[in-house]
Amino acid sequence: MNTLLSLADNLRTFWSYTGFFNAEIGHIIMILVGLVFIYLAITKEYEPLLLIPIGFGILVGNIPFNEAANLQVGIYEEGSVLNILYQGVVKGWYPPLIFLGIGAMTDFSALIANPKLILIGAAAQFGIFGAYIIALQMGFAPNEAGAIGIIGGADGPTAIFTTSKLAPHLLGAVAISAYSYMALVPVIQPPFMRLLTTKKERVIRMKSPRVVSQTEKILFPIMGLLLTAFLVPSGLPLLGMLFFGNLLKESGVTRRLAETARGPLIDTITILLGFTVGASTQATTFLRVESIKVFAIGALSFVIATCAGIFFVKMLNLFLSKEKKINPLIGNAGVSAVPDSARISQIIGLEYDPANYLLMHAMGPNVAGVIGSAVAAGILLGFLY
Amino acid sequence: MTPTVEKALLIAGIGMAGIFVFMAVFYLLILALDRFLPYQEEKPAEELSEDSVSEEEE
Repeated sequence: MNTLLSLADNLRTFWSYTGFFNAEIGHIIMILVGLVFIYLAITKEYEPLLLIPIGFGILVGNIPFNEAANLQVGIYEEGSVLNILYQGVVKGWYPPLIFLGIGAMTDFSALIANPKLILIGAAAQFGIFGAYIIALQMGFAPNEAGAIGIIGGADGPTAIFTTSKLAPHLLGAVAISAYSYMALVPVIQPPFMRLLTTKKERVIRMKSPRVVSQTEKILFPIMGLLLTAFLVPSGLPLLGMLFFGNLLKESGVTRRLAETARGPLIDTITILLGFTVGASTQATTFLRVESIKVFAIGALSFVIATCAGIFFVKMLNLFLSKEKKINPLIGNAGVSAVPDSARISQIIGLEYDPANYLLMHAMGPNVAGVIGSAVAAGILLGFLY
Repeated sequence: MTPTVEKALLIAGIGMAGIFVFMAVFYLLILALDRFLPYQEEKPAEELSEDSVSEEEE
């Protein structure tokens, strides 16, 4: 009889440790969100390299368990494996390493060949500051508003880096929002691009960019680094690594390092970053009204950034001669979702003129957007950190 | 207008101005690069060695 009672006790304890016993409706909702991410990544191919790790991370982070049992499995339990990996997000180590890889894979030739395109990358940052003001109006504290605003930069690593400093409690919501909207750029941008441009503007043909010398390509990241260091030192962790990676690529003598930075290193960090950001969205910390507000403001920031880029090109065209005019369809590419927003410019452009290839022109504002969002992050950190 | 919004507008204004200044300086630096280090067609290595041989012959 005693044996039976003890067995029943053990079974009861075992049951109390299972996910079935500890599951709440929030866990189920988040598991469904994770499954949607994985579904979108596989079937629609929306940013699969990010959405698969994030989606799977959401599943792992929302497996219900008995927190009182001190199993050391949760991402917020100090000393757990997930918690150790999550430190790269919390302390901001991962984003600069991702920027190193981005630098090693980015060709700045389009920007160097037509430098006025860099200003489009600046104009698109209205999305960040517009969202910042909206977030403040919606009752967020200034540091939280800054973290939410950075979603408009359409740059996951920058958003994570800034939020980890300004409002770590919003990290999950901001990161998921930024990556979701980056994946949805092909859905969000085209309607506004059509709405804000005329048929005549959409068929503007731009001059082929000039050839860029290797010397220019080598000097560009060095100049960029020095400019960043002196003008916006708070942007140094991101931009410093971006330009360092680019110098590895362009110097021509560090091919192995460049290949590691743009290959195994960035892949490893992407896996760790995506997975831990996903796992950080535990239902108890993620499912709040705040998160819904963050998502709403995030969507608005993408719209503002897209519109600002297009309006800026239209304004710039007022001052340019006929042969130097810029096709406003590349204005959206100031939103730094590389290379998706540049591809959208190309796709929409081809719809109206099948021989008008805008991709090479759109890559200029696109890479300028990466620089612009990191500068904006540096400015926000300078004011609010 | 509340002081918070006023401060937000100020930060946004300075922020956007800061980004444009940064990008404008970048723009000028790139123009300077193009001016002082214009693109010159790089000669293939064989052509270079032929040149040096012909110089020696002379």
